[in-house]
Amino acid sequence: MLARYFLPRDLHPGAWWVWALGLAVAASRTTNPWLLLTILAVACYVVIARRADAPWAMAFRLYLYLGAFIVAMRVLFRFVFGGAEGSTIILALPEIPLPAWAAGIRLLGDVSAESLLGGLYDGLRLATMVVCLGAANALANPKRLLKAMPPALYEVGTAVVVALSVFPQLAESVLRVRRARTLRGGATGRRFRALHAIIIPVLEDALDRSLRLAASMDSRGYGRAGRVAARARLATGALMIVGLIGVCVGVYATLDGSTPRFLAAPVLVAGLVVALVGFRLAGRRVHRTRYRPDRWRAPEIVVATSGVAVAVAFFATSGVNPTNLNPSLVVLSWPLLSWPPLLGAAVGLVPAVLSPIPEPVTA
Amino acid sequence: MRTLVVLAVAALTATLAPVARAVDHSKGYPGYCRNATGVTVVVDFQQLGGTTIVRCDPRPTRGTGLDAVKGAGFQIEGVVRWGEGFICRIENRPSAVEEIPVAGDDGYREACRDTPPASAYWSYWHAGNNCQWEYSQWGVKNRDFVPGGFEGWSFSLNATADTNPTPRIAAVRPGTTGQPCDAPDEPEPTTADPNARQPGAAGAQNGAGGGSGGSTETSTAPGRDALPPPKPRTGSPDRAEADDPSGNVAFTGGEKARDVTEVVREQSGASDYAPWAAGGAVVLLGLATWLTARRRKRSREA
Repeated sequence: MLARYFLPRDLHPGAWWVWALGLAVAASRTTNPWLLLTILAVACYVVIARRADAPWAMAFRLYLYLGAFIVAMRVLFRFVFGGAEGSTIILALPEIPLPAWAAGIRLLGDVSAESLLGGLYDGLRLATMVVCLGAANALANPKRLLKAMPPALYEVGTAVVVALSVFPQLAESVLRVRRARTLRGGATGRRFRALHAIIIPVLEDALDRSLRLAASMDSRGYGRAGRVAARARLATGALMIVGLIGVCVGVYATLDGSTPRFLAAPVLVAGLVVALVGFRLAGRRVHRTRYRPDRWRAPEIVVATSGVAVAVAFFATSGVNPTNLNPSLVVLSWPLLSWPPLLGAAVGLVPAVLSPIPEPVTA
Repeated sequence: MRTLVVLAVAALTATLAPVARAVDHSKGYPGYCRNATGVTVVVDFQQLGGTTIVRCDPRPTRGTGLDAVKGAGFQIEGVVRWGEGFICRIENRPSAVEEIPVAGDDGYREACRDTPPASAYWSYWHAGNNCQWEYSQWGVKNRDFVPGGFEGWSFSLNATADTNPTPRIAAVRPGTTGQPCDAPDEPEPTTADPNARQPGAAGAQNGAGGGSGGSTETSTAPGRDALPPPKPRTGSPDRAEADDPSGNVAFTGGEKARDVTEVVREQSGASDYAPWAAGGAVVLLGLATWLTARRRKRSREA
């Protein structure tokens, strides 16, 4: 029984996406650096422990670089554009005077510790969310994710999967080109030339690959209009797009505490209803079969549940008390932390233990 | 690199920063201002409950309303969206765990994220000595206090523009009763631009107020436009005289107010050990990540 549970195999990509989105949603609720760092560490550990040796999985490091870049930029901007919210001035830069029409914009000037920390916390939150998405991309196989899409979502799903896998693909190209350069013993001296020698092959690679993808999709019947009246296609398309836009707005409003509430549940429900009608209509005309579809087994459910549990824990504690999740910067002090959200974040670690290791790649 | 150094300095400062009191007794002094220098700040909790606090910011220079309330030693918190330009908590009231009986929104709690609702917010008043309170037409960062006068903060709950409660302390310094009201006329805002400053205010010439950072801040806009418009007032120079001070409610100088940081820690259920546990977990996980990555890399290369 246990041996079967832990039999090495690739999990359903949806499970990893649910888990990673759960962590990202939790991160979006807080600016507490303790919690954000815990979520980051949890995501990194699970990725390292459970990623396959596939090319898209190796791109995770680039998401970490991107996160570091985001944090650095946020802090830098506090230096450049007015960082004087707060009373602990730690750096007095000369202020650059601006003409009257630019009132409201400040260049340089005093920089306070509070505003720098504010930038750091805010940047850390965005970086954590980006790294969570990177974790999903590293753990879930994008091709199998496309396969798992419901038939009605094929058109939209294809676009989404292609968009989601652009970055991992590019990252993989960069790694490949760099490895090739190293093997050839290419000159590493001049930075500009090195950039030149990486970017052109990468772009060429991307173009080649998308042509190949288009050809393969074409041969598999994607974009097939079938024998459906143009008007019916237009109606289902419009319903689906409008519904999905509604769902996006609703999800955004639900997750962002400062958006007007009437944009949250009502728009979300309305969007879902419209999209479901669209799916029904589209699903009736699209018939596609799947070869050996991925199934949701116990490990998938465990992985997805742990992600959802993290998000729920953060929602619950922020409902009870928001002070913990958004540390105040009025008085400079170590951010407070209570146990419930921290233990909630730790639940995200479950997949590192309670999921099968990926199938070894046979090259 | 410099960022790192600065962050290290910031972290160090954070550890060394003195514990903030509810009322920072190093700033200002309790009670009314003793003379015409500085400005008296009145904080009336109204229906939130709690004794009204009166303190003086004795600064001889000019300053904004924000400088006054901070300079008098009050602990304030601005909303996340607008920063200190929109004050949502004074002395940790209404706290994050306090349910405010807002009509039509049961169980409302002030999260200090966005502009508070028009039915539960800190209304901002000002008055010259011996004058009637006036609802401020300007944001707290955008006007100068009246030297020798009063700045009032009164919690407005389920009130309209006409029923906004004035601070229940008459704007009269002890010993000046009966003197005529003297307050300069404040120009009304001419635009709807929330960044507009009162002409000649300290904030207009950057830093002239010499305040604690508030006067030089320009990036955030107080969203006063979300609140009911101030009562239209006649611009007649002879203003209404102040009420009789004998009608004042009881007040303190905030001498016995509890440490805000301590209260927040209690209310949030924060634990002293949780941050250590978080730090430890991050370090352990980082170590485990590194070890696992090394092991997997070796097995891949093998």
